[in-house]
Amino acid sequence: MSMNKIYKKISITAGVIIILGAITYPPFHRWSRSHVNYLTATEDHPLNCLSCHLPNQKDGIIAEMVNADYYSPFKLAISDDGKKLFAVAEEGNSLLIIDTEKKKVLDEIPVGIRPHSVVIDNDKNIAYVTNQWSDNVSVIDLNNNSVEYTLKTGNGPAGIELSSDKQFLYVVNSYSSDLSVFDLASGREQKRLTTGNNPTGITMSPDKSKLYITSRRALIAPYGDPVICQLSVVNDNNQRIAEYRDVESAYMMENIAFTPEGDLALIPLIRPKNLVPSIQVERGFIMTNGIGIIEQKPDGRILQLLLDEPNKYYADPFDIEITPDGKRAFVSHGGVDCISVIDLDSLRALIAVTSSEMLDHFSNHLGISTRFVIKRIPTGANPKGMVLSPDGKLLYVAEHLEDRIAVINTESLETVNTIDLGGPRRITVARHGRRLLNSAGHTFQTQYSCFTCHPDTHEDGLVYNMASKDMGRNLTNTQSLRNIGDTPPYKWNGKNQTVYKQDGLRFSTVLTRTEAFSYKELDAITAYIMTGIPNPPNLLHNPAGELTPAQQRGKAIFERTVDFKGNEIPEKNRCVTCHPAPYFTNKQMFDVGTLASSDDSILFDTPHLNNVFASPPYLHDGRAATLEEIWTLYGKTEQHGIVNDLTKIQLNELIEYLKSLRDPAYETKRTEKQLASMSHN
Amino acid sequence: MKNLIKTRSFKNILYAIVLIVIAGILIFIKPGNTGDNQLPVKETVVSNNENTSEVTPGSSSGVIKEAKAMPVYGNWRNFTTKDGLPSDKAYTVRIDGDRVLVGTHGGMAVYEKGKWRTYTTEDGLAHNGVVSIDVSRLTGDVWIATFAGLNRWSGGKFETFNQFNSGLPNDLVYNVFCDGKDIWVATGGGAGHYDTFTKEWEIFTEMNAPMHEPWSYAVSAGDGKVWIAAWGGGVIEYTYETKHFRDYVDPDGFMEIDLQPDDGIIHDITTATSYADSILWVSTYFGMSRYDGKNWKGYFKEDSGLASNFINFLRAEGKVVFVCCDNGLSTFDGTTWVTYLKDDNSENGKAIITNGTEKKEVPLSPSIAHNFIIGVDAENDVLWVATSKGVSRGEIIR
Repeated sequence: MSMNKIYKKISITAGVIIILGAITYPPFHRWSRSHVNYLTATEDHPLNCLSCHLPNQKDGIIAEMVNADYYSPFKLAISDDGKKLFAVAEEGNSLLIIDTEKKKVLDEIPVGIRPHSVVIDNDKNIAYVTNQWSDNVSVIDLNNNSVEYTLKTGNGPAGIELSSDKQFLYVVNSYSSDLSVFDLASGREQKRLTTGNNPTGITMSPDKSKLYITSRRALIAPYGDPVICQLSVVNDNNQRIAEYRDVESAYMMENIAFTPEGDLALIPLIRPKNLVPSIQVERGFIMTNGIGIIEQKPDGRILQLLLDEPNKYYADPFDIEITPDGKRAFVSHGGVDCISVIDLDSLRALIAVTSSEMLDHFSNHLGISTRFVIKRIPTGANPKGMVLSPDGKLLYVAEHLEDRIAVINTESLETVNTIDLGGPRRITVARHGRRLLNSAGHTFQTQYSCFTCHPDTHEDGLVYNMASKDMGRNLTNTQSLRNIGDTPPYKWNGKNQTVYKQDGLRFSTVLTRTEAFSYKELDAITAYIMTGIPNPPNLLHNPAGELTPAQQRGKAIFERTVDFKGNEIPEKNRCVTCHPAPYFTNKQMFDVGTLASSDDSILFDTPHLNNVFASPPYLHDGRAATLEEIWTLYGKTEQHGIVNDLTKIQLNELIEYLKSLRDPAYETKRTEKQLASMSHN
Repeated sequence: MKNLIKTRSFKNILYAIVLIVIAGILIFIKPGNTGDNQLPVKETVVSNNENTSEVTPGSSSGVIKEAKAMPVYGNWRNFTTKDGLPSDKAYTVRIDGDRVLVGTHGGMAVYEKGKWRTYTTEDGLAHNGVVSIDVSRLTGDVWIATFAGLNRWSGGKFETFNQFNSGLPNDLVYNVFCDGKDIWVATGGGAGHYDTFTKEWEIFTEMNAPMHEPWSYAVSAGDGKVWIAAWGGGVIEYTYETKHFRDYVDPDGFMEIDLQPDDGIIHDITTATSYADSILWVSTYFGMSRYDGKNWKGYFKEDSGLASNFINFLRAEGKVVFVCCDNGLSTFDGTTWVTYLKDDNSENGKAIITNGTEKKEVPLSPSIAHNFIIGVDAENDVLWVATSKGVSRGEIIR
C-alpha cells in the first residue's frame, strides 16, 4: 500500500472521529453537566470525570492503585526505661516498636484487626494489645517480638490495664459495654462486669485500689432528659463494681488520668447541646469541649471546665497525660490538631477558691480556660494517644492521620522531633477526605467535626434538635456513616440523593456555619465515604455467618408473607420488602406510623440495618431505646411490619435475627481475613 | 388405694393419741414446767439486741443427740416498719456479705451496719413489690425480681429489664437466680434465661419446653443444670451442655394426695427448687420432695417435722434445707427437723426438734416475727427469715 493511501485512510479516520466528536460532544457535555449537577446539587462543580470515578472505586485494580494502606497510630505505651515506644497501628493491624533514641521503627508485630490499646508488663517483658475488631488480646513476648497467644474477650476490646499485682488483666469491651477480667496465670476470663455505655479508657488509681473506666456514649434516655455519661469504678481487690458515677451533660469520655498525688482524676470530654435548637453556634450551642475533674476525697465532686475559648474551640479532646511531678496535664484534640497544656496548680487554685455554684457556671464558660491552659501545641493531623517518657520530660503523640509520632519537650512545650512510621508518603484522595471528616477546621470557630457526632464514623447515640425552618421541630436521631456510600438517599427525610449533596453547600449552611468545602475537598470527603466505611464485624451476634436456631426462626419471621393466623401480609407490611439484603434497605421513603406531632408531614428514608444492634436508640427521633421497643411500644398500628400476632418468644427471635445482620463486606473473601483474626488460642 | 389411705389415716390417729398421752403426762406429772428448767444444763445466750433465749444444749434424749448436727437458731430479732422496713410484708431475703437485702411489698430494704435503707421506684426499682433477690457471686451484681420487671443493681445504679424494652418473658417476675454469667428468671410468661456475655434472652414456655403452661414460680441451678418450678408442670430440668429439657412430674397425677409414696415428685404444682450438696429439694403446696439423682422422697406435715404442707419457698444451704411454710419455718438435714413456730398470742415461740418419732421443744423468746414464711436465707451462723409481718434474724444458739 502506497504512503498516499495510508495518509488518506488516516485523514479520513481522523476526520470521521473529529466529526463524530463534534456531533456527540454537545449532548455528552450536556449529559455530563446534568449528571454532575444532579450528583452535586450544584451547577458549577468542575466537570472532571477522574475526580470522582477514580478515587471513589471500592474494589479492583484501580482502587488498589489510587488508595494506600496507612498505619494510623492510635494509642501508645512506653517501656520503663523509656527506650522503647510502642505504637498501636490501627489500620496497619500491628504493634510498632520504636527506638526512642534512634527515632526509628525497630519492629512491626502483626496483631488482630483494628488494634486499639497496648499495655506493657515490664517485669515479664510482655505486651498486651487489644484488637477491637477481632474480639481478642494479642499477648506478645517482647523477648522475641512475637504473638504467643490470644485471649478471647468481649465485643470490641479497647482500653486495657493490669491489676496492681499484675496477676489479672482488665480489658474494656467497648461494643458490649463490659469489662473482661482475665486471670493471667490460667489465661481464663474470670468474669465480665457491666460498665457504662461504650467504654474505652481505663486506668488504675495511684493508690492501686480502684480502676476507673470511661464511657463515650451517654445512657439511653428519652429526649429531654439530661445527657448522662457514666464513669465505672471497679475495686481491684475483689474485682467488683464499686460505683457508677454520673457525669452530667457530657459524653465522649475517651480516656482518664490521675495526678500522681491522687487528688484528682481528669477526663477529656465533650458537652453536647443537643436538647436545644442549634441556633446559637457562635455561643457554643452545639458542642463545647473540656475536661471532667473527679475529686478523690469523700463526697468529692465531679466538676467540668471547658478547654475552649470564646472564638476558638478545641474539638474532640481524646487522650490525657499528666507529668510525674503533677504540674502539667496534656490533652490531645483530634479535631483541631493540637495539644492543650494545663497548669494543674492553677487548676487546683481555681477550684479551691471558687464556690460549687460558680464552678457549675464555669462548666459552660468559654473564657475560663485562660485561667489554667498555658499553651496549645500544634501537631500533625488528628492527634490521638499520648504517653510521657518515664522522667516526664518528653511527650509522645500519635498523629493518627499523619502516620507519625510527635515528640514534645514538656519544659519548652515545643515539638522537638517527629518519628516517621514508614507508611505511604502520599496522601490519597480518600485519606484527605478522612482527615477532613476528622477535622473541625471547616466548622464555625472549629467547634466540632463530622467525627464529633459520628465517632468512629458511626453515630453518637444522641438525638438533636437541629435548627430548621420551624425551630424545635423534627428531632433527629444521628445516623451511622457506615455503609452509607451504598445506601442513598440521606437524611431521615431523604432529601439528599448523594453524598455530594449531603456534604455540600447545605451542610455548611445548616451544620458547619462557615464556608462550604471546596470542590476538591468535597471530592475528597466523598471519596472517603464512597470507598467504603465498613461496619466492624458482628462478632457478638453473628461471628461466622451461621445463624443460631433462634436467629433462623427470626429470619423466617422477617421474610414471611403470611402471618401466624394464616392471613397474607400485604407486601408493604413485610419486613423484607423495605429491608432487603445486602444493606437491608430498599432506599425508598415510607410511612411506618412513627410521625410525631412535632414532625413535618414527611415520609422517612428506610435506614440500612447492618450492625443495627450497635445503633440505639431507634426510629427517626430516637424514641425507641431498644429494638424491642420499636414494636412493643411503637408498633401498635402495624404500619412498621405485622408483629401483633407474634408471641414474646417469636418477637425475641425476630430481634435476635436483626442483631445478627452484618456488613456484606464480611460475606466476601474479606471474611477469610476476618476469620483468621478471630482464631483464639 | 382406699386401704392405703385408711392405713395412713390410722397411723396419723395413732400418732395423735400418743402425742396427747405424752402431753398429758407432761402436764399432770410436771405442772408449771416452762420447758427449760427441766434440763440438766441451761445455757443463756445474749444476742446483740440483748434479747435472751434459753437453750437446751445437753440431753440424753436421742432427739437431741441426733439434732446436734442440726443448727438451732434463736436470739431472734424482728424488724418491721417501725425499724425502717418499707413494708411489714416481706417477700424475700438475701444475705450479701455484710449486708442483708430484703424484698418487701413496699420496696427493697438493705440492712447494713445496723441500719435499714430503703429503695423504691423513685430510686430506679422497676416496682416496689420485690419478690426475689439474688446476688451474682461472680460480679457482685444484685438482681431483683419485681411485680413489674427485673432490675440489675450495681454500683448504686438500677438497670431495668421489662417485657417492653428487652427479651424478658413477662414483667411479673417471681424469682431470679444467678448462675455464673447466666441469669435465670421465673415469670408469669415463662422462664427466662439471660446470658450476660452475649446479652441474649431465651424464653421457655409450654411452646418450647415440657411445661404445662408458661407460669413459673421459681428457678435454681447447679452442676450444669437448671430446675424450673413450673406451675402444673412439676420441675423442668434444663441441661446447659445439651440444651435439652426433661420434666419431673407427679406420677400420681394432679392430685392432692400422694398415692404412691416416694415414686416421684409429690405434686405438679411446684413453688420452688433448690440444689445443694448434690440434692435437689422441691417445694409444693402439698409437701416437699427430695431428689438425690436416683430416688425421690416425699415429706409431709403428717409424717415428718415439716411445719405445713403449704410451702411458699425453700432454700438449701449445704446439707440443710430451709422450708418456708404458711405456718412456720422448718429446717431439715435429711434426718432431723427443726421447726420454728411463733405463739399466736405473744412474741414468744418455740423450736420443735423432730427426729423420727421423737420430738423435743425448745422455747424461744422472742420468736420469729410471724408464722407465714415467704423467704429465707442462711449464711455462717445467721438465719434471716422474711414473713408476712416483718423480717427476723436468728443466730445459731447450738
